[in-house]
Amino acid sequence: MRIFFAWLTILFLLMGALPAFSAQDAPGAQNEKSLSQDALETPAQSAADGEPKSLKGAQEKTANFEEEYVEEGDADEKTQGERVAIADPLEPFNRAMYLFNDRLYFWLLKPAAQGYNVVVPEPARISIKNFFTHLAYPSRLLSLLLQADFAGAAEETGRFVINTLWGIGGLLDPAAGGELKLQRQEADLGQTLGVYGVGHGFYIVWPIWGPSSPRDTLTIVGDTFLYPPSYISPWYVNRGVWAFEKINSASLRIGDYESLISAAIDPYLAIRDAYAQYRAKDINARKTRSLLFKDHEDPTPKPGDGQKDDFLRH
Amino acid sequence: MDRKKSRWIQAPFGNRSGKYLGKRVFNPLTVACVLCLTFSLPAFAAGLFGPPQTPSKTTGGLNTAVAYSYAEDVFKTTSDFVLKRHHIYSQAAYGKNGLWEVYGRLGVSDLKIADAFRSMNALTTTSRTDFEENWKFFGTLGAKAFYPATRFVGVGAFIQGTYHFSNYTDSVPGAYLGAPFEADLKIKNLWDIQGGLNLQVTLPYDIKIYTGPFAYYSDADAVLSVDRPGLSFTPQKTALQNKSKTGAFGGVDIPLAKGFRLTLEGQVSERLSIGAAVTYIY
Repeated sequence: MRIFFAWLTILFLLMGALPAFSAQDAPGAQNEKSLSQDALETPAQSAADGEPKSLKGAQEKTANFEEEYVEEGDADEKTQGERVAIADPLEPFNRAMYLFNDRLYFWLLKPAAQGYNVVVPEPARISIKNFFTHLAYPSRLLSLLLQADFAGAAEETGRFVINTLWGIGGLLDPAAGGELKLQRQEADLGQTLGVYGVGHGFYIVWPIWGPSSPRDTLTIVGDTFLYPPSYISPWYVNRGVWAFEKINSASLRIGDYESLISAAIDPYLAIRDAYAQYRAKDINARKTRSLLFKDHEDPTPKPGDGQKDDFLRH
Repeated sequence: MDRKKSRWIQAPFGNRSGKYLGKRVFNPLTVACVLCLTFSLPAFAAGLFGPPQTPSKTTGGLNTAVAYSYAEDVFKTTSDFVLKRHHIYSQAAYGKNGLWEVYGRLGVSDLKIADAFRSMNALTTTSRTDFEENWKFFGTLGAKAFYPATRFVGVGAFIQGTYHFSNYTDSVPGAYLGAPFEADLKIKNLWDIQGGLNLQVTLPYDIKIYTGPFAYYSDADAVLSVDRPGLSFTPQKTALQNKSKTGAFGGVDIPLAKGFRLTLEGQVSERLSIGAAVTYIY
């Protein structure tokens, strides 16, 4: 097992050129909304997604997390008040990797993103982010199909077609706005395994990719194969595109990570717990859309269920 | 004063938001009709011109389109050649107040030139006569302005320029006095510029019909790799230019569901050029 992880670590280090704090930033894994992605989402990104802006502190962020979860309906009720734990047998290693990622962020990624921020205007950066997200469509589609969420797959395909044709190849996102309102489906392969009942296993912090687990590592590996820019050759152009994507993405959420860690007593623990909870909620939300699981995945009665039964009886 | 009023039209013009612009203008119908009749046929142009009034929100906004057009034209050198092209392109535009719009297009186009390799000399033979090349990129920049005359009628003007980024190349084997050769024809620096006037009438259900005259100029360089008697092109650069410089066009712009619009357009030439575009308004 150790050899396996050592091999994977070396492989990822060879693949990577620049740090990205969160698992969200893995190539093709934009949809894996890990803690850091959600917590570090910038006002710019929020604006792009049509969501509320200005998250100033970690408390505000936590509140926003909760608001977001409440909006998700059924899935939230299942995990509300429920603490999701994740085993952490590799804590010394994970803490070292957390520190490594932290330093990479502050010493390399952030200065690069700040410089980039000055040169490239925000609308252009949002368009670039839209474009790379657009390219991750194969991964999202496969995940949705594997989750038996065919309505989601159709919606995602509709988004892809509309944004390709009328969004200038994905630079713009007309499908999400106006009268169309086709929202991006946050689906990934690790989440798909979760929908089928596969557990996290244990917590692991990958260098560059950030918080993950053996199950969610499949997202990093699988999505890389399903992400078209991964096939750009020669390899240094491929890595250059990857680095560009990471810097662009980071430029849209400078300051969010700082706010998060400044509010936590132990940022490592805060991130770990939030990561586990977020993924659990995410998977429950996906289950409610799956044709295979939506009818029988929640044995606990929901508020209003009894009333519905009473109504049917009468 | 009354006489002056009779010569000018005081009428509101409904734009996309229903706001009336209230312009006093000279009746554009007369102007457009006269110009349509003044310009002579035949003519040709690449890409759609579209209705003169931008579909963008009056407060200012984007609209994007995907379009297809098929066009034919006659270019002249020492003799005339018929050029046929299919265009597929994506357009992004920004417009405001229903009065003006700037737009850019990026697309691909093929090229077919009838009889480009035809030999006029019996000693020179080629295995085929037509030049054919597949999809190459082109880009277009344009602008249009609109002047509402009444609530339903308005007149506009547009100008757009197109440049084909790549050379179009085709080669054909042949023989001269029994000796084989390979003739490689390159069409370089293909560009054109078009401008015109555009009369628009708005019908019920926000259907718009439009028509107008236009003028254009198109130019390219042709270079053949070999010099053989009877062939139209030589290793020296030969300028290809459009034979006719003017034309007329007309089309209809129909609202579809959920912010989309369909534009169908025809451009009159020695042959009819046609095109269609589906536009999404942000």
